[in-house]
Amino acid sequence: MHMVKNIMSQKLYTIGPLTGVSRAATIMERSGIGCLPVVDEGKLVGIITSRDIRGSHPNRLVADAMTRDVVTIPPTASIWEAKELMEKYKIERLVVVDEKSIVGIVTKAQIMAGLSKYIDSLTGLNKAEVFYERARQLLKESHEIAVIFLDVDNFGLINKEYGHVYGDNILRKVAVILDKLVDKNRDTLCRYAGDEFAVVTTRPLEEAEKFALQLVMAFANEKWPAEIKITISVGVAGGRRSGIRNLNEDSSYIVKNLINMASLASTKAKKLKRPVVVVDAIEFKEMVRKQEFVYDNLK
Amino acid sequence: MLSKETSRSTEPLRKADINIKLSEFEIPPMQDIMLVGKKAPIGPEAVRQMVDAVSPDQYEIVRLNDHEVFEAVVLKKSLLKLLPKEKLLSVVIEEGNRIANENMVVKAQINITIQVSRTVDL
Repeated sequence: MHMVKNIMSQKLYTIGPLTGVSRAATIMERSGIGCLPVVDEGKLVGIITSRDIRGSHPNRLVADAMTRDVVTIPPTASIWEAKELMEKYKIERLVVVDEKSIVGIVTKAQIMAGLSKYIDSLTGLNKAEVFYERARQLLKESHEIAVIFLDVDNFGLINKEYGHVYGDNILRKVAVILDKLVDKNRDTLCRYAGDEFAVVTTRPLEEAEKFALQLVMAFANEKWPAEIKITISVGVAGGRRSGIRNLNEDSSYIVKNLINMASLASTKAKKLKRPVVVVDAIEFKEMVRKQEFVYDNLK
Repeated sequence: MLSKETSRSTEPLRKADINIKLSEFEIPPMQDIMLVGKKAPIGPEAVRQMVDAVSPDQYEIVRLNDHEVFEAVVLKKSLLKLLPKEKLLSVVIEEGNRIANENMVVKAQINITIQVSRTVDL
């Protein structure tokens, strides 16, 4: 997964707190950078940005012009975490700190360039990597999560009958419908692959099922070009986390299993001609043992 | 008939007058209280460095986080034996606010007279 350390600037310029602001401005201008971490005896004590410099008298010391509360991020944090921090504090740079030492700086432009690799060019939705990252993060934060897996019915036939350009337009429209309905605070939507979309949500399983039905209904009520009927089949899987041994390994495992169960449930929905099939809540701790049982039930 | 100019033009005479005004350097160079404006040429850290070098342990710096004009007040610790800090600061800041803006550093000389009247039994 894309980490901050992969995109940050490692060539680091720092400055002491008793240096003049005009000296800081000169260093920033010559080096083409927008900020300098302020370090006193090896310890990060502040950051001086071009905005701080503009608002200060040039005769001042850096200590009297700098921002004292520095927002830092570890190098192993994801670029999504970095983006959230920047949005939360309304800042454009984060100092990357490994334990106590500064190892780099990451800017908003670097984050946005990194994130653009994870946006699907056809629909403008997140790619599956974002979905996985968000799901893992929610589990880390001890949220109960559910996965909603959506599959456009007979999309292969639509492509064959109307052509791929028409098929792409359908996928764009599907993305718009889904994007309008998701609650950004609770749901993360992605184009999973081809004609498959997925949502990871913090809604409880029952609520996730209702939401899935709402999505199906939205398609039923929509008018499509050439007056064809587009429907979707949806699988929902969710559960509780308990007794997780290794958070990183187990959370990845849990997410992969949830998406697998939800996709199988959507296949089952298609076969049964039911709009939504839900996999009951399960304890993740026991999921390893019950995995075969669950899959058998879905077949 | 105009007379012919006979004298040659000369270089202008250049002189320097030196006036010297000597007086004893005041230690400390500041007075009792200094109010540091938010956009003043020196900030509280610079003042602290100066004061610590010239008059160690004699002044205290109080940072003002929410004041619209001043960023900090530097005051002589000995004044605080005469008046509580909050009472002294509120008066000085209020008066400083009337005459200063955020680009200025204002120094203030403070004279405090304590009036005591006591009665004892005879």
